Amino acid sequence: MLGRTCLAGLALTACSSGHGPARPQHLPPLDKVPALRGGGAARSPRIANYKLDAKLDPSSHMITATETLTWTNTGASQVDMLPFHLYMNAFKNEDSLFMRTTHGEMRGAHATDSGWGWIQIDSIQIGGVERATAISYPDDRDRTVANLPLQQPVQPGQTIEINFKFTEQLPEVFARSGYKGEFNLVGQWFPKIGVRVGTPGAEHWECQPHSANTEFFADFGVYDVTLTVPNTQVVAATGVLVAASDVPGGLRTLTYHAEDVHDFVWMADPYMVTKSGKATLEDGSTVIVRVVYRPEQESFAARHLQAAIGAIEKFSADFVPYPWSIMTVVDPPPDAASGAGGMEYPTLVTTAGDSVLARPGVRVPEFVTVHEVGHNWFQGMLASNEPVEAWMDEGVNEWADSHVMAELYGARSSVIDWEGFTAEYGALSETATEDPANIPSPIATAAFQFVDNAAYGEQSYPGTNRALTTLERTVGTSKFMAAMKAYAKQWAFKHPTGRDLFAALEKELGENLDWYFSPVFEQVGGMRLRVRSAECRPTHPPRGVFGDGTQKKIVTDTDAPTSGAWNCDVFVQNTGVIHVPVDIELDFADGSTQREQWDDHGERAWHELTALHSSRLVGVRLDPDNKISLDVPIEHQYRLEGDGAASLRAGARIASWAQTLMQLVGP
Amino acid sequence: MKSMKITLGDLLGSGSRAITRYTGTLLAVFVVQTIVMLAAMFATAMVLANAFAHLPIWDDAVDGDLVSLVVCLKFARGNFLACSSIAFGAILLWSLASWFLAGGVYGVLAQRPEGRAETARTFGASGAATYLTYARLALCAVPGWLLAMLVFALCSGFALQKVQYALTVSDLVGPLLLAIGPALLVMHVMMTVVDYARVELTLRHDSHEPGVIATYLRTLGFVLRRPLTLVHSGLGWLVFVAITLGYGYLAHNRPMYGATGAITLFVIRSGVSLARMAIRFGVLAGQVDLGGSRPLPPRRVEVKAPPKNAG
Repeated sequence: MLGRTCLAGLALTACSSGHGPARPQHLPPLDKVPALRGGGAARSPRIANYKLDAKLDPSSHMITATETLTWTNTGASQVDMLPFHLYMNAFKNEDSLFMRTTHGEMRGAHATDSGWGWIQIDSIQIGGVERATAISYPDDRDRTVANLPLQQPVQPGQTIEINFKFTEQLPEVFARSGYKGEFNLVGQWFPKIGVRVGTPGAEHWECQPHSANTEFFADFGVYDVTLTVPNTQVVAATGVLVAASDVPGGLRTLTYHAEDVHDFVWMADPYMVTKSGKATLEDGSTVIVRVVYRPEQESFAARHLQAAIGAIEKFSADFVPYPWSIMTVVDPPPDAASGAGGMEYPTLVTTAGDSVLARPGVRVPEFVTVHEVGHNWFQGMLASNEPVEAWMDEGVNEWADSHVMAELYGARSSVIDWEGFTAEYGALSETATEDPANIPSPIATAAFQFVDNAAYGEQSYPGTNRALTTLERTVGTSKFMAAMKAYAKQWAFKHPTGRDLFAALEKELGENLDWYFSPVFEQVGGMRLRVRSAECRPTHPPRGVFGDGTQKKIVTDTDAPTSGAWNCDVFVQNTGVIHVPVDIELDFADGSTQREQWDDHGERAWHELTALHSSRLVGVRLDPDNKISLDVPIEHQYRLEGDGAASLRAGARIASWAQTLMQLVGP
Repeated sequence: MKSMKITLGDLLGSGSRAITRYTGTLLAVFVVQTIVMLAAMFATAMVLANAFAHLPIWDDAVDGDLVSLVVCLKFARGNFLACSSIAFGAILLWSLASWFLAGGVYGVLAQRPEGRAETARTFGASGAATYLTYARLALCAVPGWLLAMLVFALCSGFALQKVQYALTVSDLVGPLLLAIGPALLVMHVMMTVVDYARVELTLRHDSHEPGVIATYLRTLGFVLRRPLTLVHSGLGWLVFVAITLGYGYLAHNRPMYGATGAITLFVIRSGVSLARMAIRFGVLAGQVDLGGSRPLPPRRVEVKAPPKNAG
């Protein structure tokens, strides 16, 4: 009977979430705006341009497609081989590098035994000649990279056209791309060429296999993509919708156009609805912002829309203006969010965080949207090499998010403002993460070379945030923001490296920052700042025996009484590898303070302060203005006399809770 | 053997009379609990002061700064683990002591002694006489707790996915009730059975020397046949929870009740604890009355003392 009761209750709750059968949707209106906001000339070199024609079968989650890639050799050396990413093969079997390094799990979502995914190249033609059999795989176990040798090399300045036919099975989503129920998120789904990097004349291909911590790196180009789906599907995609028509068989064809982007993603789901708004930039132009979501997520859609609009406006003002006409935010259904949510693509992002626990004021949904939209700057426009320098987009974006969240929601309550609890994002993120000194991989480690996934996450995201925040507060926020804005302007639509960022900051800030960048980004060890000792002694004239022979004199404490002043010695130490200027403030019993700065750029691991003062020293505060985020601040404040009052209050609380439990078990 | 129809009103009346008549007994038990609590309080304060006496960030943490609290928790994990162990030890110690104290309370409520000396003698004698019996009863009750845990595991397994993907409070309420409701019900039945078994063992200890297992099983049948037992004890727990939540509501965002001064905290929270203990005391009194109206157990020994009936 108990089991039946449970089942009946479950049935009742289950019934409330059904959507009914999928129904034909109205033909969507075209986006009558250019792909680039305001139209105009190309913003990037447009090295890799794609024309794709794909058909989705939602019942089997399979895609059949053709692709025409036009690639230009902008280097100074000829190219006789083209490497392609076949990312979908990461989900083919447990032999793939991705499955071996993730163990079938990512961000709490798990691969299923029946939900494998793959991509199969059916044909490759160059100049009408079939070349599919020429493909080779550098790692036969992992087929996420395929090499195509060329019969005729591509000379510098030449353009080559390659035509593909391929078939694809979407996996059940657990790592960005795939389906869950009737929701389909189609990302990293087409053969994608690598990137030529290196000094002119000595270029080489950058085309990393797909593993647990590696994301993506590609050249900018123009995408023209035609999607054929059943007319029951709501579709969202990169770029602008330029054509839409119904075709026989209950199908619909939608054509999207995107310029100066390096990726194309799309979503299809029969139950989604749309909410729209506009972001207004400083020059008065607007960006259409859409959120696509399931009806039961209505209240969260409104939050995501406001967050996206705010993020576009703030990022545009702080760095460079958002260059495209549209931003789409896809809010996946809750059961797909951990797999498909929280991911960035140019002009389309997927968000997450919708939960009963995310009450208004608990800004997890807003933060995810701000973070993903922010990636349209750091990685979308400043297209750094994510597999090799993950911190350049994730960490720099985290730093920028802290600012944007503070601008949107208030400095002290940017991420939590609920029932009297407030928290600022940066401070909360620092407390939730590991002490940087305990992580054995430095920030500037390639994503696939971190000791483990936890170290990758800690260093690439909050670790970089801490590093940039500390530098910002050391040199001054307005100067640093101006320097980052100049960096963004210089490197938008290019592929900046870490060295490029450091060089731009040094140039804008007008000083050599090697003493900071090298230990912070390239070494292990962090900071270990604390007060080693602090003591005060009352001052008096010297006592003792003075003189010789008949002139010998003994000075006692009566002869040399204390003068009422105090001689205080404080020793501060930093046993880490990172040394930044540290403000030190001494607090005296009469309420006065004395401040000085310890700034030796790491010449010595300790520093002495002395003070002659009319009252006793009661406390020492290191970094009183909270400029330093690279150290755990627990020992940054020190009082000479121990005080147990707070511990007694805490003990009273703990004992009171224990008493409540005692009353549950006792008479 | 008396045959009487006892109502909920009678049980509530018994409770309030017992509280006023045996206030000293109630306070004595409360003082013992408070001593255990104070010992835990000073022990945890010393452990925390050892880590934080010289670190002002701890003051901010105790006063409600969330970021400071997390930093301190990470810095001194060992100290906080020690505090948890102290609290757990206090609860365990109290559990063991409560077998004696409960026996004493049930003995006083059953025998209704007059005067302090008589009450104290009755309390001590009854507590000592039933201590090991209650210990055996606690072992008998283990299968009941395991059943509650099994029910919780089954029901929460059904409801887990709904809870995991809940978007609104109304999405959450149904699955949460489904997950914990049946288990709470089983636990409530088991706790009521233990209470009434204790009453039976106390009342019939001298005259019948009832077996623990047999008493437990007969009491299970009695409780299931007399829903009044569950309603009465359930009402007591509801008031217990209401007092706790009421204090939590009043203390929320009100530093005078929640945050400042160890002495102030101690006094206010002791008042709340005393109120809760008084409720339990009243419920025990009602249980003695209702338990006394049960048919006598079948096994009889040479009568050393007349059966103890309440009322």
